[in-house]
Amino acid sequence: MGNRLLSTLVATTALMALATAADAKTVVRMMHQGDPGWVALYGKVAERFEAANPDVDIELIYAPHDAYNEKFSSAVMSKQLPDIIELDAPFLANYVWSGYLKPIKSYIDQDLLDDMTASNVAQGTYPIDKDLYAIGLTDSSVVLYGNKKYLEKIGARIPKSVDDAWTRAEFEDYLAKLAKVDGVKWPIDTFRGYGIKTEWVTYAYQPILNSFGCDLIDRTTWTATGTLDSQPCVDALTMMQTWVKNGWVVPMSSGTNQFYADGEPAALAWGGHWFYAEAAAKLKDDVVVMPLPKFGDKSASPDGTWIWAITTQSEHPDIAGKFLSFLLKDKDYRDFAVSQSAYPGLKSFAAQSPLYAEGGPMAVAFEQASKVAVPRPPHPAYPTITSAFMQAVDQIFNGEDAQKALTAAAEKIDEDIADNDGYPPFDGN
Amino acid sequence: MSDLALFSRKPTMSVNGYRVVQSISVFVIALVVISPLFMLFIASLKDDRFQILADMGSFRAFWVDNPTLSNFREVGNFAGELAFGRYLGNSLFILGSTVSLGLVINSMAGFILAWGSLPGRAVILSLIIALYVIPQESIIMPLLIIVSRAGLSDTFTAQILPFVASPLYTFLFYQFFAQLPKELYEAASIDGASIFRTWWSIFMPLSLPALATVSILMGIETWNQYLWPILITQTDYARPISVAIATFFGQDSIYWDRAMAASVLMMIPILVFYLAFQRWFISSFVGSAVKG
Repeated sequence: MGNRLLSTLVATTALMALATAADAKTVVRMMHQGDPGWVALYGKVAERFEAANPDVDIELIYAPHDAYNEKFSSAVMSKQLPDIIELDAPFLANYVWSGYLKPIKSYIDQDLLDDMTASNVAQGTYPIDKDLYAIGLTDSSVVLYGNKKYLEKIGARIPKSVDDAWTRAEFEDYLAKLAKVDGVKWPIDTFRGYGIKTEWVTYAYQPILNSFGCDLIDRTTWTATGTLDSQPCVDALTMMQTWVKNGWVVPMSSGTNQFYADGEPAALAWGGHWFYAEAAAKLKDDVVVMPLPKFGDKSASPDGTWIWAITTQSEHPDIAGKFLSFLLKDKDYRDFAVSQSAYPGLKSFAAQSPLYAEGGPMAVAFEQASKVAVPRPPHPAYPTITSAFMQAVDQIFNGEDAQKALTAAAEKIDEDIADNDGYPPFDGN
Repeated sequence: MSDLALFSRKPTMSVNGYRVVQSISVFVIALVVISPLFMLFIASLKDDRFQILADMGSFRAFWVDNPTLSNFREVGNFAGELAFGRYLGNSLFILGSTVSLGLVINSMAGFILAWGSLPGRAVILSLIIALYVIPQESIIMPLLIIVSRAGLSDTFTAQILPFVASPLYTFLFYQFFAQLPKELYEAASIDGASIFRTWWSIFMPLSLPALATVSILMGIETWNQYLWPILITQTDYARPISVAIATFFGQDSIYWDRAMAASVLMMIPILVFYLAFQRWFISSFVGSAVKG
């Protein structure tokens, strides 16, 4: 009796163990942000991938956009980094330097790697080993939107390409003229309403510094003093401060809707590519899309957006890469991205996006990316660089002397770099 | 008109004038408090998210031409990991558990500090008051590591347990219990009541204003938790409604229409909660003011 019971127990245990082994799936976790449309889409793509790969379970970890960095930090601290993360491109250097990300090339399908635009490759590349650590379907840019009705009133020239962008003299002349047009409360919205807790200020205003011939930091010596506080940068920010003092810029307190709000109080908008959808929805054919003005000898525009990377904590980077390749090729993913006016980061996706194709309303944005895009500094100190610069811009817009504010920002950045011993090997060692 | 008549009318006019000023002041304050909520409600009835933005900053924000419940329907068909009602249920469960446990734990602690024979009571009380000034944000990372190492990540427990005991609410109970007559405690002791019985049967029934105040304050605090649930949860299983609403605030777009409708839905339970307890809440404040 006893032996029979023992045999039954052993058999049951063995069967249970076999069943568990059969049910055991490889779990790949992916942390992402995004609004409801994207969230739903990732869920559906994951389901399709799981159906095609029954031994894999894709676990999605959603973090709201405004709390994403905090969520990422908490995952690092609690040693719970998922296999795949979505990250904002300018933070890539910091994450690679900190040892959070794996080189991605060997895990992603070759046809996708070949399909990346130069700007997409740039946003995912770590400058030290020149290896690719992230890939995305999309990229980004900023353009100058105009209200055709107001521009016609002042007889403004409408640039058709980056090569004939407005010069500083033209741009400031138009701002002054627009300020006097009936119905125009503010000649331009530079989206101060996004505040200084997002990346907007650094992302959107760095091209003005670049066009003036300066930068956030010297990209060879990686020091900010002598660059960020140099005369061209001071001139650039003093120019913007003058716009604010003249009452030409929509104030921070007036939100981000003045270009198309009731009465259309702002005539121009220094806005991201995503702004096109809402501007066109309200103003229809009155929206004119122009390249950013050329303030000095050269034009410049920003790039970089949220891209995908595989973490060093991933125990299944091959499956993570397989899922990423599946996601980037997914038809519904691409269709949804087109519906959101997403800016193409893959050549094949550009061909599917009539908005950015030649003759499309946002074609000039795509032209900018191929000709004059300048990425934000790919350096581990970037979190400090962006925070110091945004604080300086905020102070300058509120009346602080541009030289004083930029010098303080440059010192803060250099202090951070010194505190980290130059972030070797960025210090040349 | 006699001098007496003049004398008697003057104060009446002054009182009337005072009442008019008082009424206008109350009306203005009420308008300031209510107008954002009204704007939120009106916006939730507009189906064009760009129009909501376009109307902001003008009186059109307080008017809707073609009211629709489509935003509420869309919220009902929420495309997240879970149904929207489930997030609401999660929030209600976290709220109910935190407040119930919080009332028991904090009132027990407050009672012992007020009437118990605890050695070093004054020191403990000082430490509790000192703890109150430490902002939650400053301890959030250490707390995260402790809770993660305890294996509580991604659970309801992780969202309830750390917030049950609170220096503020313990102190509020202590203050309330300490003001009750000493004779109550002595009579219970003479009758042989244990300290637990004295707390539960004598002091707690007399503490409705304190219980209401702590319930409302703790309830609002718990209901509005946002960062902590994001940090401590990985999946949507135990996430509250505040995190679900954040989904409408995307990287490039903000879905004001659905965010407003979801916010209205989120507001209703806490409003009901407040209305249920407000009588005792107000009497507690009035009582504190008189005694203070």
